[in-house]
Amino acid sequence: MKYKFTSVLAFSFLANVLTSTFAAEPFTFDIPSMKEQAKDAGLTHSYDGPWEFFVGGGVASFDCNGDRLPDLVLSGGSSPAQLFINKSPTAGALKFTSAPLGLSKRDATKVLGAYPVNIDNDAHTDLVLLRLGENIILKGGPNCSFTKANHTLAFNGGAEWTTGFAATWEKNSPYPTLAFGNYVDRTAPGSPWGTCSDNVLARPLSTSKKLPNYSEPIALTPAYCSLSMLFTDWNKSGQPALRVTNDRQYYRGGQEQLWRIPERGAPRQFTKAQGWKPLRIWGMGISEADLDQDGIPEYALSSMGDTMLQTLDKEDDTDRPTYRDEAFAKQMTAHRPYTGTDLNPSTGWHTQFADFNNDTRLDLFIAKGNVEAMPDFAKFDPDNMLLGGLKNKFFEAGDKAGIARNTRGRGAAVIDLNADGMLDLVVVNRKANVSLFRNQGTQTSWGHRPLGNWIGIELDNGKINRNAIGAKVTVKTGNLTQSRTIQIGGGHASGQLGFVHFGLGVAERTKIRVQWPNGDWSHEYRVFSNNFVQISRNKPDALYWYPKPIGTK
Amino acid sequence: MKQAIISCLILFSLLADSTASAGEPIWEEKTEALGAITTMPSGTLSSAQLKTLTQIGLDLFTAKFTRLDGAGRPAATQAIIPTKARHKATQAFSRLAGPDSLACSSCHNDPVVGGAGDFITNVFVSEGFTNANFDTTDPQFSNERGTNHLFGAGLLELLAREMSNELAALRSKALNQAARNNAPVKILLITKGVSFGSITAMPDGLVDLKHVEGVDTDLVIRPFSQKGVMASLRQFTINAMNHHHGMQASERYGDRWTGNKDFDEDTHNDELTPTDISALVAWQATLRPPIAKKPSSKNWQQAAAKGEHVFNEYGCATCHMKSLPLSSLTFQDPGSFDVSGTLNSMAVKTPASYDLNKLAWAKQLPRNDKGEVLVPLFGDLKRHKMTDRTVAILGNELLSQRFVGRDIFMTAELWGIGSTSPYGHRNDFTTLEGIILAHGGEGRDARDAYKAAPKEERSSLIAYLKTLVIK
Repeated sequence: MKYKFTSVLAFSFLANVLTSTFAAEPFTFDIPSMKEQAKDAGLTHSYDGPWEFFVGGGVASFDCNGDRLPDLVLSGGSSPAQLFINKSPTAGALKFTSAPLGLSKRDATKVLGAYPVNIDNDAHTDLVLLRLGENIILKGGPNCSFTKANHTLAFNGGAEWTTGFAATWEKNSPYPTLAFGNYVDRTAPGSPWGTCSDNVLARPLSTSKKLPNYSEPIALTPAYCSLSMLFTDWNKSGQPALRVTNDRQYYRGGQEQLWRIPERGAPRQFTKAQGWKPLRIWGMGISEADLDQDGIPEYALSSMGDTMLQTLDKEDDTDRPTYRDEAFAKQMTAHRPYTGTDLNPSTGWHTQFADFNNDTRLDLFIAKGNVEAMPDFAKFDPDNMLLGGLKNKFFEAGDKAGIARNTRGRGAAVIDLNADGMLDLVVVNRKANVSLFRNQGTQTSWGHRPLGNWIGIELDNGKINRNAIGAKVTVKTGNLTQSRTIQIGGGHASGQLGFVHFGLGVAERTKIRVQWPNGDWSHEYRVFSNNFVQISRNKPDALYWYPKPIGTK
Repeated sequence: MKQAIISCLILFSLLADSTASAGEPIWEEKTEALGAITTMPSGTLSSAQLKTLTQIGLDLFTAKFTRLDGAGRPAATQAIIPTKARHKATQAFSRLAGPDSLACSSCHNDPVVGGAGDFITNVFVSEGFTNANFDTTDPQFSNERGTNHLFGAGLLELLAREMSNELAALRSKALNQAARNNAPVKILLITKGVSFGSITAMPDGLVDLKHVEGVDTDLVIRPFSQKGVMASLRQFTINAMNHHHGMQASERYGDRWTGNKDFDEDTHNDELTPTDISALVAWQATLRPPIAKKPSSKNWQQAAAKGEHVFNEYGCATCHMKSLPLSSLTFQDPGSFDVSGTLNSMAVKTPASYDLNKLAWAKQLPRNDKGEVLVPLFGDLKRHKMTDRTVAILGNELLSQRFVGRDIFMTAELWGIGSTSPYGHRNDFTTLEGIILAHGGEGRDARDAYKAAPKEERSSLIAYLKTLVIK
């Protein structure tokens, strides 16, 4: 006996570790432990209302008071939309306080969705509210103050039932082009079937004032009851197109759409002759990611039943928008509840790619929930957390992560709310309180341990398009390259603006390059993991940003 | 405290008799010390526990790992991030890209195990992401580096941790002040008498780092390697075990991060457990520091005394600071400055903790009036540019390493230099005078002062340096 025992207690701590909750799982990567704490955090909010609010239920996450922590605006349907200011201590329990949005009672209700976007290029993020009736642009001011700016911007909010939104800065434009996706036209004969309102493209007109003018919107016809839209550079041309997902429940003869948005010219829908294959789904939400790092994005489309993963068909001419579906091959159809006894098809809403466990593999979150009481669809329909695994396949971890709740999810945001580098989750639920999950890291037998390394990146594009919407951010660790495109739009009625999050696995440092919205590539920025950094296009070095130290208020 | 001791007792409960593990014969071509502890050291270790742990660490350090242990990495590169090789290696060894040895002590052996190595022990440092299977000494593919000694390594890591904590505290102070005053605040980064430039904190929490000097932008002092790019003995050990032996630590190459227990595809799962790494760390961390010996002859003593004087006079001590003060000799493993991929204090329930003060050699260390140990490292744990236009021989690398420029190196600690020739990051210099005269850049003034000095004075400096030995 070469190595002698030095104590008399003889049971194995390691054995406990090895037999911990996840030891038997084939998925060996970290599963984040998500703790629901909405009420403790001060988030009391429900998305309510009749048929018109069976859809919608979005959340905007953005910083409105300059502390770089994401604040939240939650749409309420027939209940008022609410603003919650993030007071979470660094790496601590989530904490919010309610604050006034500055809206009249009329304007605060019938809100279906919310997207943050800095329209006027000042120091404050503005907010677009999607409503049943007039859409509203709120001009952001200091300390989370907002002023209705429809008149100032000559923006006609319309009277439609608006459920989708996207924004982009077209070439050389100082202000964003705004796209609004509209749903059923309830006033048309035969409504609701086959009566979809036109979608709208609002381009900024040149003006002598330091503000855009949106007085001449363009109708995007035909429209097929859109529930989500996204400006996307689908073919690496540098010219964003508008992808629209539509609800087959109500359209007639419709399909999914991709609009060419030429500079100054009229938008034109891609046709079958141009390679666009008709696809008819109950389209609810879009999110984009370059899963195979070929520079060309894939799209997750939520629906009733199967979630779609659309990837450009490389066997076709890559100049043609011909897509094929890879959801089945990647085990991410998420077509029915993954737990419980209800085997009816799922109903998917918000989709968002993100790296929940910081392992460098993108994961997919899908908010789920029955429309209201559709008998042929699952009543118990928990949200999905599909973690990226080996061989580009996904692994459902919603139950083990702790997000499998009996709620009807709608809009959502996957964001780091307490600046600890681990992505948290907020889900707006229909007729139930909002869910707020804090990512605690991985569960062990003794507590939680941190996930992989990470980096949070904030871009500063300068005086125009300050948040660099349309920029591509690339991080390199070892031989692995990951990229994200900064976008406003997609999801389900929900938008995020803030640090772009990358999981870095075991890498202790990373190299970052940015392709700015005008197509210019940056030099290489070298930063260390587990930091928040700001990259400004006119500064040679990245600045680090530090949240308040743990334990301080 | 009580709880820590109890957990420590529990965790040391299975220091097993490895020969009994599988009923294998004693001549089996395996390393007995591998997996000798089955539970992770935790809490405050007793002297007896530390002794056992370091004995296992020594056995692992000197072990000649075999194929049956998991040596070799046919399908993986030497990279610090698990990386698959493009082509599976057909041979066990590669002198250049590695694996290049069976044992740590194959190179770290001069003058004794844990020491440095002659030129023949040079290694070829490459990130291993691309050109993983390079078969040339062309410096566009790798940097050739000498083997450093490890004596006093625990003290170095403790110094670096204290300095990193102090730099972080300075950064927090500047940020708080900037927020309070709503104006930018510039603060000098000085810790233990070493200046690392300055930062400017903005009221909104942003920090401008462009005037940081000699340390990474995260202000973490990384005391190990010629470039100062490794934060801990734990990180270095994991890197080196993979690079040089193809022994992959599960805490980085295991299925938590790679989805595979046998990432290098040599049919061995989890080749090094966290406890194996802890043992290796413990042995290295507790290695005695080098000493300044009293020369045997009187004329050497006199020359050395004069040499010590000129060492200061020439400005050598500006960077080769004779000592740095250390407040605590309690070594915690895993430590707090490692990040995922190397276990850190947040990733275990309770890190192991051992007091280096209890080791015999600690009593010999001088202390200041605050009771701090004066660690006689002859260094500053800071990086410096070592070339200029006319003296550029130390700028002989083509590849920067981990964001550190090709002619920038961490001040070599001179403790033990009398025992560890040859000198320089590539072991290029057979004499101390040779390496002194190679100092350019930030070392140029001291080098010029030496060069201009009378022969006798120069000789005295050599006499002094020769007293700094590993015993």
